[in-house]
Amino acid sequence: MSSLTLLDLPRLLGYQFFQHALLGGLLTALACAWVGFFLILRRETMIGDGIAHTAFGGIALGLLLHVNPLLTAWVVSTVAVLGIAFMRRRGIAHSDAAIAVMLALGFSGGLVIISLAGGFNVELFSYLFGSILTIDQTDLGIVSGLSIAAALFLGVFHKELLSITFDEEAARLMGIPVTPLSVGFHILVATTVTLSIKVIGIILVVALIVLPGLTALQFNLSFRQTTMAAVGVGLLSMFLGISLSAVYDVATSGVIVFTAAALFIFAALYRRLG
Amino acid sequence: MTTPAIEAEALTVTRSGTTVISDASFTIERGDYVGMVGPNGGGKTTLLQALLGIIPAASGSIRLFGRDKQAFSEWERIAYVAQDAISFDASFPLTVRELTGLGRITRDRLGRPLSRDDWQAVDEILALMEMDDLADRRIGRLSGGQKQRVFVAKALVRDPDILLLDEPVTGVDAETQERFYKKLSDLNEARDLTIVIVSHDLAAVFCRMSKVMCVNREVYSADITEDLEPNEILREVYGDHFHFVFHRHECTGVFADE
Repeated sequence: MSSLTLLDLPRLLGYQFFQHALLGGLLTALACAWVGFFLILRRETMIGDGIAHTAFGGIALGLLLHVNPLLTAWVVSTVAVLGIAFMRRRGIAHSDAAIAVMLALGFSGGLVIISLAGGFNVELFSYLFGSILTIDQTDLGIVSGLSIAAALFLGVFHKELLSITFDEEAARLMGIPVTPLSVGFHILVATTVTLSIKVIGIILVVALIVLPGLTALQFNLSFRQTTMAAVGVGLLSMFLGISLSAVYDVATSGVIVFTAAALFIFAALYRRLG
Repeated sequence: MTTPAIEAEALTVTRSGTTVISDASFTIERGDYVGMVGPNGGGKTTLLQALLGIIPAASGSIRLFGRDKQAFSEWERIAYVAQDAISFDASFPLTVRELTGLGRITRDRLGRPLSRDDWQAVDEILALMEMDDLADRRIGRLSGGQKQRVFVAKALVRDPDILLLDEPVTGVDAETQERFYKKLSDLNEARDLTIVIVSHDLAAVFCRMSKVMCVNREVYSADITEDLEPNEILREVYGDHFHFVFHRHECTGVFADE
């Protein structure tokens, strides 16, 4: 495909593999940017990174048991995110230390499983760095379903989550069920991270979560406008990333993240110099 | 006679094993405009938080609108602006109108978008608080006085019966403070809103308000009338050496726009 140019993009859009990649990628980008924006405002972005690395254990478990690794990764991520929240609430560990504990537990568990199983290097590689261009029907179904569920949750409880993010105690006094909504939000984080593993891989998940929101925050917009801008930047990075990587035959996750990072740098420069 | 808004009976509140409020009994009637004064660390914030149920009472009782606090459920009737409300992250992407809109969230309408009526209520409150020109401004770019007004707007947009304000004028210039107290007076009269405000501005309390509560572990309260000698009650909490120079006839003119 390396002889292709950007002019071939319309033709690429006719291929089913490319349509699947775009659909899965764009839905994931939507969920990631939206969830990530809340994580930035809650100063919890490293939860995304920690959970992604913890999910490595889940991926290895799925490969060992011959269960879809995304499903086992989702279960492990959910347990990890709830574990982090539990440790923080009970004063067992601060946020960053709790994340480190879960990351260590998940990643080391993954390594033990791999060595016990005698290694499944090739498959594992695709989860470390993503493989959206080769997404199959089942994974596309999982990715799309979970992305839509995440977007629905955020859409419905948008203002309650904003209220909790801005001032948790005030939200509690107003009668907002802070604890159940926070648990729901954290499960959502685990879900979104799991989706991104297929698209972008464990190593770079945090970029898809942080960069769109951070880019949008450079423009001093209202909350509503910043949310839309974050989602817009996420979708644009994903579209450009998938297209450029398909046309020029370079690593998809690398191009997606590089595009998102470039947009962030332009936005930050625009704010300082514009 | 209507049921009082707040009644406390032999209320004792402790924090980390230390008694902060001891054996306090007082009544706040509906429509009262109460100034809560006292030295720093005297327990004013703790008392407000106990009334709201943020911290439990060690002993004694609290009744809200005639109902024991344990059985009280109409929390939307009570709005509260915390002492640290205005010390938020200045880069938080939220406009004045959006923040005020958050005040319309209620327990029984979770997950439902704000209606046209909600946004109309927001715009009315912002106009009332003289914030309508700033509706689309980011809250991080407001002055201290504007910040306190938007948080009061967020509290008022719930249409509460009681407004509890914990030292909302810290770090604001004198004229802005005066305008703020005047605005609360107007709200108190126009809406029959019960207001309890923690304040260090004794002149504003004795000129503007209907009741003073002095808090320093013990709580002394008195209606502010022509006959009340401020120093008598203030010395209960500030000590015998305390002397507050106050002439009632100087009240008019304290406020710049009167």
